[in-house]
Amino acid sequence: MSTPPIDEATLRVLLVRAGLPHSPEQVKAILPGAEIIQRLIARVNAPLPREAEPALTFDVEQK
Amino acid sequence: MSAILTIAEAGKQIAAKKLSPVELTKTHLDRIRKLDPQLNAFLLVTEERALADARAAEARQMSGTLRGPLDGIPIAHKDIYNTAGIRTTAHSKLLEDNVPTRDAHTVKKWADAGTVMLGKLSTHEFAFGGPSFDLPWPPARNPWNREHFTAGSSSGTGAAIAAGLILGGTGSDTGGSIRGPAALCGIAGIKPTYGLSSRAGILPLAFSLDHAGPMAWTSEDCALLLQGMAGHDPEDPASVDHPVANFTAEIGKGVKGLRIGVVRHFFETDHRASDATRAGIDAAMDFFRKEGAEVRDITLSPAAEYHAVGYLLMINEAFTLHAPWMRDRFKDYGELFRDRIALAATFSGADIVQATRRRRVLCREMATAMEDLDIIVSASQPGEAPRIVDVAKWANMEKPSFTMPCNVTGFPAISLCTGFGQGGLPVSMQLSGKPFTEPTLFRAAHAYETATPWRNKRPAMVR
Repeated sequence: MSTPPIDEATLRVLLVRAGLPHSPEQVKAILPGAEIIQRLIARVNAPLPREAEPALTFDVEQK
Repeated sequence: MSAILTIAEAGKQIAAKKLSPVELTKTHLDRIRKLDPQLNAFLLVTEERALADARAAEARQMSGTLRGPLDGIPIAHKDIYNTAGIRTTAHSKLLEDNVPTRDAHTVKKWADAGTVMLGKLSTHEFAFGGPSFDLPWPPARNPWNREHFTAGSSSGTGAAIAAGLILGGTGSDTGGSIRGPAALCGIAGIKPTYGLSSRAGILPLAFSLDHAGPMAWTSEDCALLLQGMAGHDPEDPASVDHPVANFTAEIGKGVKGLRIGVVRHFFETDHRASDATRAGIDAAMDFFRKEGAEVRDITLSPAAEYHAVGYLLMINEAFTLHAPWMRDRFKDYGELFRDRIALAATFSGADIVQATRRRRVLCREMATAMEDLDIIVSASQPGEAPRIVDVAKWANMEKPSFTMPCNVTGFPAISLCTGFGQGGLPVSMQLSGKPFTEPTLFRAAHAYETATPWRNKRPAMVR
């Protein structure tokens, strides 16, 4: 699984786009967390069969 | 200090008129006065309300109109559960002055069962941001060692029960927030089947993963408390209209014939747990085998798969709820909550659809694995509680969680104490089952707890 890179400048753009007013120091402090998130994103993006539907709900009655 | 009763014991004594609910409540209020300044388990003690509840319970006791095994039992609520006329803060500056006008559905159900409410309990900010030192109130401390973490987010509930300040309390569990504090504080806590207990009136963190459940010293007490909170509620869209089982029905039946699968790779290779944790699980499996259960190892997807799906969905749903406040009242949030949730800005809609697709795959995987099993066993936490100052901002996302799989799938899971580690703090295991099989989990948990000495030992500060 490849991990998409994220750097401080990209993270700043994404936070601004989300409307969050992080200072440059705060953006820097979040970067280690963003790097972990990139690994989680890579994991969920591992290939699935095309017919695998999203679990919009799941069946708790399943036995 | 007097001995701390279990709910089952206190209920029987109250029914037999051998224990006064008012005296029991006063004992617990005294213990809160003595110990809570060291623990910060309570955000608010509702002494007048508690004494009024206790007097009402005592009147029912005297007139022979007790409402059941929870009547007169001292409890408290995690401070994300709405309490009518009583401040409900989510441990956040944003809700510092929030006074709901209605009880949460489960708060009302426990009140209707006759419980005595002692107050509101510490949590991580909005059930996620902790342990934080920049909020209006300090974080709860672990009664086994005050320098150590309680886990979260039902941190006050875990600490208050272990220290005997209350006999039971409410928790909520989105990624392990009932089972984590239960594990690190050495008590029992169950995350019920998704939809079994209503979340109406509980401040949400992530709708598709949030569960409401009880915590107590023993699994039997959890069964009694869950009986008082389970049931269909049309005000919670996820609430299931399913018959409520008798949660104590299988207690005392032993484990003979139960089929138990151990997800050993979760706690041996995916995220290696401490020696004491692994030894505790092995000893528990030896006990189950000796008592006639069939125990074998099973393999699921790596714990990291469940963790990635659950974590991304959790912060995405939480960010959706908090975005307006995050934009307008950014500085009113604690750093941990704010920074963890902000990470939702870094992933796309396609990533979330991928996570929900994978969630379906994992739900099917666990359901298939359980077709010929009654219980799945794993660790609950990787080891003893770390020092509270050593808990890093990203600790809960860096390594795969043992509890998240049952939030992703909605299957029920209970955390139990399996002894103590080298530092003298509790270690634990987790039993999970098929949807709506809580009675079987309580059956196995009770068999284990009554055959082991761990329920006889309280933290030194309360002995």
